[in-house]
Amino acid sequence: MEQKVTAASIEKKSLIGQRVKKPDAPDKATGKTRYINDMVLPQMLIGKVLFAGRPHAKIVSMDISAAERLPGVYAVLTGKDAAGLKFGFVRDNVPLKEKVLCEHDEVAAVAAETEEIALNALSLIKVEYEDLPGVFSPEVGREASAPQLRDNFPDNKSLRFEFKHGDLAAAEAASDFIADDVFRPHHVTHCCMGTSCAIADFDNNGKLTIWTQTQYPYNYKMDLAPALGITPGDIRVMQPPVGGAFGSKLDVYPYEPIAALLARKTGRPVKVIYSREDEFRASPTRQAAIIHMRTGCKRDGTLTFRTADVLLDNGAYTSWGPTIPVIMMRTTSGHYRVPVVDFKAQAIYTNNPYAGSFRGYGNVQTTYATAQQMDILADKLDMDPLAFHLKNAQKSGEITPQKSFLRECVLAECLETAAQATDYSRKRAAYAAERDKPGRYKKGIGLASSIHNAGGAKIHKSDGIGTILKVDDYARVTVITGASEIGQGIDAVINLIVSEELGVPLEHVTIVNNDSDIAPWDVGVHASRTTFIAGNGTRQAARKAKAQILKAAEKMLGEPADTLELRGGSVVRDRCGTPLIKLDRLLRQMHFQAVPELVMVTDYYEPNSEPEGADHISDHSAAYSHAVHIAEITVDTLTGEIKVDKITSAQDVGRVINRMGLEAQTEGGIAIGLGYALSENMQLEQGILRNPSFRDYKLVTAPEMPELEMHFIESNCAEGPYGAKGVSELPTIVIAPAIANALFNATGVRIFNPPLSPEKVARAIYEKQQSGK
Amino acid sequence: MSLETEIKFTLNGRPVAVRVPATMKTLTMLREVLGLTGTKYACGEGECGACTVKVDGKTLNSCLMHAVDCDGRELVTIEGLKTPEGMNPMQQAFVDHGAVQCGFCMPGMIMQADYLVGENPRLTREEAQRGLEGNLCRCTGYTKVLDAVASVAEKKCCGRL
Amino acid sequence: MQDIKTYMTPCSVGEAVKAMAAGGVTAFCGGTDLSPQVESGARQYTATLMNIRRIEGMGGIAEQGDSIRIGALTTVTEIRRDPLIAKVAPILAEAAEHFASDQIRNAASVGGNICNASPAGDMINPLLVLDAEVELARWQDGAVATRRVAMADFFLAPRKTVKRDDELLTAIVFKRPAADFVGYFRKSGPRPALEISTVSVGIGGRMSNGVFRDVRVAMGSVAPTPLRARNVEAALEGKPLNADTIRAAVAATSADAKPIDDVRASAWYREHLVKVFTEEVLNHVLGN
Repeated sequence: MEQKVTAASIEKKSLIGQRVKKPDAPDKATGKTRYINDMVLPQMLIGKVLFAGRPHAKIVSMDISAAERLPGVYAVLTGKDAAGLKFGFVRDNVPLKEKVLCEHDEVAAVAAETEEIALNALSLIKVEYEDLPGVFSPEVGREASAPQLRDNFPDNKSLRFEFKHGDLAAAEAASDFIADDVFRPHHVTHCCMGTSCAIADFDNNGKLTIWTQTQYPYNYKMDLAPALGITPGDIRVMQPPVGGAFGSKLDVYPYEPIAALLARKTGRPVKVIYSREDEFRASPTRQAAIIHMRTGCKRDGTLTFRTADVLLDNGAYTSWGPTIPVIMMRTTSGHYRVPVVDFKAQAIYTNNPYAGSFRGYGNVQTTYATAQQMDILADKLDMDPLAFHLKNAQKSGEITPQKSFLRECVLAECLETAAQATDYSRKRAAYAAERDKPGRYKKGIGLASSIHNAGGAKIHKSDGIGTILKVDDYARVTVITGASEIGQGIDAVINLIVSEELGVPLEHVTIVNNDSDIAPWDVGVHASRTTFIAGNGTRQAARKAKAQILKAAEKMLGEPADTLELRGGSVVRDRCGTPLIKLDRLLRQMHFQAVPELVMVTDYYEPNSEPEGADHISDHSAAYSHAVHIAEITVDTLTGEIKVDKITSAQDVGRVINRMGLEAQTEGGIAIGLGYALSENMQLEQGILRNPSFRDYKLVTAPEMPELEMHFIESNCAEGPYGAKGVSELPTIVIAPAIANALFNATGVRIFNPPLSPEKVARAIYEKQQSGK
Repeated sequence: MSLETEIKFTLNGRPVAVRVPATMKTLTMLREVLGLTGTKYACGEGECGACTVKVDGKTLNSCLMHAVDCDGRELVTIEGLKTPEGMNPMQQAFVDHGAVQCGFCMPGMIMQADYLVGENPRLTREEAQRGLEGNLCRCTGYTKVLDAVASVAEKKCCGRL
Repeated sequence: MQDIKTYMTPCSVGEAVKAMAAGGVTAFCGGTDLSPQVESGARQYTATLMNIRRIEGMGGIAEQGDSIRIGALTTVTEIRRDPLIAKVAPILAEAAEHFASDQIRNAASVGGNICNASPAGDMINPLLVLDAEVELARWQDGAVATRRVAMADFFLAPRKTVKRDDELLTAIVFKRPAADFVGYFRKSGPRPALEISTVSVGIGGRMSNGVFRDVRVAMGSVAPTPLRARNVEAALEGKPLNADTIRAAVAATSADAKPIDDVRASAWYREHLVKVFTEEVLNHVLGN
């Protein structure tokens, strides 16, 4: 078929590394987006949860009769209604409790016509408790004399992890210096701006539709089903827009099955939504830990070994929190070239809130220890930390003791880039020389780095993603993908990749990823994996579609498919860019020919990583990446206030895909890291949260944000889409130790228990001065 | 049930008459009575700014303001910033600069940012930081937000808006 | 939720206090303190909800003879931006600058901040330094009667003041500070404003020929109420302001500040900050 060529040639313009806007931003910026929190369904009831408000107690009696009689109340459920509905990682949780194990234990729930009626009903429920002595720290909990919280867990011992590599005794003997410290990373929480919310509705065939904020819609079904006594196949998961997640929605939490139980009881849709106070008290935390770490080195600065003995505050139930050793040991064994490793971790049940996963999962805590011990050792060696880091930095091709294969490793380049950009070595020496001179305000500079998985993490049998891609008669592309969007910007990345591959405008791509009955399977949005995994999945699917289109074009145009390309909405000759036919026209011709052909392809991308095994020796991610942060701070030595003047980051991003999204992820990650380092702290007293509000739980605000300078180092990952690696967690991971190292540089004070709050810093400096007198 | 009062006010340029309980807050009225869900609840105690609206030209937290106090006043919500011609320049700037991630805090953030450049067309980046101190965001680290505000302030300042 | 029987929006002080005489009135203006307190259960509405924001003559900042009168409904934003305040009482503008956030400043009234009687109330501290009085109105014998109470005598306990339930705080009045008056305010917190003060210190007085007179020192969050630090004042009054005097004043803080441990800070840190701020503010006075 001869085509008349009228248009000028279309040049190849790659979008990779360009700035692409999030497609949902206009609706979000105008208040049009309907978040789950905004949703109202016909006949919908409001569910409210009664929390125990005490950390450990027997429920002696419960009287719900007055609540049930209140007009407008449709259901009141208690622990009896949920008996046996065990769920959770080790099946140690139930939606509603018959015994209280932590402050936010859900002891009853109400569904009513309005929130006001539901709250009134809660106030009418009479519960008589018998308080029991509690366990509020893992150190106490592991003693035989401590109250035993669960029958089948002696000494309150929950999960345990171990990893050993090499001859520790020999390595210790060969060490000239050993850093030996106990770090106590604290409880913080996600503070998603949209509070937790779920809407559940059963149809009359017994099938549940649940609108949730979940980050892992497919395995979520498997985890939710036992909490309701139904099969995963009978659950349809809907994912409306959410107000943040950051890892907090990677498990099933009791409010979700509670919404479903209320819906089943009432036969109506039920929405459970948290107040901010509920959110603080009842949503998961970042795992708190006590890390006894030792790192050894020789006089020339060569690392000899690292050990970590970790005690984890499991809290009352087991969610993702106590599984963080899986990542902790990767950092312990892989953060710099560590020839000998001895890692063990034990989680202990307590009556504290329990931890889920949170951006930087396990690595925020571990890097707080490893990156400070690098600084401590450099100090003992009287060596510039930069030189010490460089001496021990891995290079491309190295394999860690856990068999993480660092195929493309640019740690040294990251270190040098950040150090040069900040004039690190000179400033560090100059500030150290000023440290003990008089003066209220002291400047400090601190360097920290870390390693993280950047190509998913195969903690399930598969770390893959399904993609369905169709191109319609108007050359509009729909990508039906398992990849969840929680604000991080996979939508813009998918649009960019489709546009790159199929030569269609960004605006001509639509993503469907909010309905588990439609979109294919994915592990979930976590582990810095989505750009890597979904990016590869999208690219593979797009390339399949492209192959089909070009094959049809070959037939119609009589030119070989491998000489053709898709650009600017047309089929063009690859070499000269001469347009041959408009893509939409070609697609219609394909569709309406004698043997009709639609472009709809499916793809399953599985990264080439190995499943995490019981021995923890596997290449569990398809890529690993490093980041280096340098913090420059000013310390008011009297008030203890740390002002962060500047953060300079250098991160191996593999390759920049969407530059705007990458910057946004980095900036946001740094902000969460700053809050962790400086101000955020769940103040728990005997298991009770004392500061359940933004008034006293302090997030970083706009005026506290320092200047940021970001360097994206491109290592061109062979397995990543266009060379990209996953990026979003490292910025959060590396901040706190960089600031802690800067604090030491400025004042000679080191804080082992974050946050580095003004009071803690002031007190440490005061005590140092007193002891010096 | 609490006493209900009829109030009349201007909402996004249109007259509104509505009956509200005396204890109801403006945020609840906007979201649940008037169906304007662009304004968000995120803390309910004036600490996060997600519920920021403009009342008689000044921004405040609608979660703290009694709905009855709207009587006779002029309210603008995020839905009212958009004009038939398109997004307000601040909304557009937030989109263009990548300031929107999960977006939940953005209606309040944009209301406050728009107020700040309206009050002070020569707004500096530092003043914008101070002016946004009452708006919490967990996604962005504020950097792109401040880029967006600075771009609008710059255009205002040199008369391009 | 409490039953509210009446909602009223009085236009005059007379109308308001007449209703208040009958009892059971919850007055509000910006609602920035009331709303969260009711929400958390710390406070209850009463039968009458009274919106006092529309009362005429209760707003605005004006000079009256040798005094400055600030209407109780004046918002913190208005104080922050007022040219007269900036000129005669910059310490008050400074406190307004560090008060909560724009959105709160736009809604919160200075009268409300005083009546809330929080030991951390940020507008209270500079007003204590300015030796302000509050004007209280009530309905008596068929007419509005007013009395004035010195701010220093106003606070009894957290959320408790000498204001009777039937009284309305209508204005704050203070003498125009003398030309040689200097005063500074300092509150803690890495955030510039959106922060409940861990500690605040305000110091003001007349500084002539190196001697500090008519010294008034106010402290917040170091006792159940905002307070005048009489021992620190005594250590400074009539003395040449020098390193020795400052040292004595700093030492005297422990006689005034009796802080407690709470969720925001330990008593140790508060005592420590009071000393740091006292020294810092006095150095400011010295022009250092």
